[in-house]
Amino acid sequence: MLSATSGGRGSGLGFAMPAILLLLAFFVIPVAFLLMRSVTEPAPGLQNYATLLGSTTYAKIFFNTFFVAGVVTAITVLIAFPVAWALAIMPARWSAVIFAVILLSMWTNLLARTYAWMVLLQQTGLINRMLKAIGLIDQPLQLTNNLIGVTIGMVYIMLPFMILPLLGVIRKIDPAILQAAALCGATRAQALRRVLLPLAGPGLASGGLMVFVMSLGYFVTPSLLGGTANMMLAELIAQQVQSLVNWGMGGAAAFVLLVVTLGLYAVQLRFFDQAEAR
Amino acid sequence: MLLDFDKLGAWKWALSAICAVMALFLLLPILFIVALSFGSSRWLIFPPPGWTLKWYEELFADPRWIGAALTSAKIGVIVMVLSVVLGLLASMALVRGTFRGRAVLRAFFLTPMVLPVVIVAVALYAAFLRLGLNGTLPGFVIAHLIVALPFAIITISGALETFDPSIEDAAILCGASPWEARLRVTLPGIRHGLFSAAIFSFLISWDEVVLAIFMASPALQTLPVKVWTTLRQDLTPVIAAASTLLVALTVILMIVAALIRKGKSE
Repeated sequence: MLSATSGGRGSGLGFAMPAILLLLAFFVIPVAFLLMRSVTEPAPGLQNYATLLGSTTYAKIFFNTFFVAGVVTAITVLIAFPVAWALAIMPARWSAVIFAVILLSMWTNLLARTYAWMVLLQQTGLINRMLKAIGLIDQPLQLTNNLIGVTIGMVYIMLPFMILPLLGVIRKIDPAILQAAALCGATRAQALRRVLLPLAGPGLASGGLMVFVMSLGYFVTPSLLGGTANMMLAELIAQQVQSLVNWGMGGAAAFVLLVVTLGLYAVQLRFFDQAEAR
Repeated sequence: MLLDFDKLGAWKWALSAICAVMALFLLLPILFIVALSFGSSRWLIFPPPGWTLKWYEELFADPRWIGAALTSAKIGVIVMVLSVVLGLLASMALVRGTFRGRAVLRAFFLTPMVLPVVIVAVALYAAFLRLGLNGTLPGFVIAHLIVALPFAIITISGALETFDPSIEDAAILCGASPWEARLRVTLPGIRHGLFSAAIFSFLISWDEVVLAIFMASPALQTLPVKVWTTLRQDLTPVIAAASTLLVALTVILMIVAALIRKGKSE
């Protein structure tokens, strides 16, 4: 190793070699091969992309993917903002409890959480029976095997990923700025709209973008709560490869997801840099 | 004003109410599965007509569940060790190295965390079909290591950044060899980071579903794969029992992690 011979801390790149080799062999090269197959199978050319972007079947899958990701992001942002705001200023005793609940739900096995929602939302499930008992509905609502179920399950999973970064942003805001707004005669609503929201804005935007990107590529919850009739992009990739053994189409769909994901992360990084430079 | 809880007036109650409802929303499904796992109804009627341990008996009587849990534990422990070792070496390079392009290398190490897992899963599945690694223990370990490593690197390099390198230099000045200084001064100094990285890495492997679905064979499957295939057939309460044990494990590991954090601050 480089630094071992030079006595102190040398260049040190050698230490990173095992991890670099592992990622090259089992991450970079396999992903590159997969993407290559999208233009070589079944025959060289772009026909997989033409099919993917041209047919109505796939258009519906793209719509489902972006629609669900958009709705999940919107709901998550709406819930996370007041929660993060309250957590930032609550007495520590209460916020510690809520914080523990958030961490518990975040670290509970994903399948266990999704299973709970499958049971809660089924036709004879607790949610439907409660709605019936309070007289809101006569017939049980169809809440699983459709996009409603997917949306509820995904909001549940994404909430911590929105609340935690947003909490960090709100905690950094100087309370004196809001006192100043009050001294200048701003009402609570004015101070919220013109001071607090703009200051929390970068956190809301970057957290929202992260939730949106994660939702786009999500596999487990959409397959279990959405059913095969309401497929999303990640399921399409898995289905093309596993059931249909169509590596060309699978690779093309993976490429589209990869480009969208990395593109949005690039926006995120740029956005973050600007927000921090401000 | 808006950032002073006591001066919020009526808004204080609105915010508290939203917080309470959200906490219930997050907690309810978890409590619900725990309750169902002890309920006597096969059709998951809630509240259950009676209480029973039969789903746990069914779970422990089935060698496939036990086998899957043991496989998960074995893979999790191997991934944990490899992830901490590789993560430590990579973090040394990132934090203490002097070569150029460290920021780029760091971004490279974190990419598996950013990409949708399904892409990694499908790509590895194709590669492993050629290498004959599908359905083998090394196949599972490699796949899980790819997604666990970024978390280990973040945690360990974070700990290393806060550890003053001049302490290591002092040890060398006092006659320790560079390796001795690293092993006996730096490693104990960042042990909290190493423990956290180990817990994270194990949990990531233990809970991982998507890669495992692609790597699994009928002969070798992890616990999440067993839950997944059972879930697709029916919603039997046995899954509630298995889920409850998983929740219990999470709670234990969270407490351990909290104690480590507490130990660090003292």
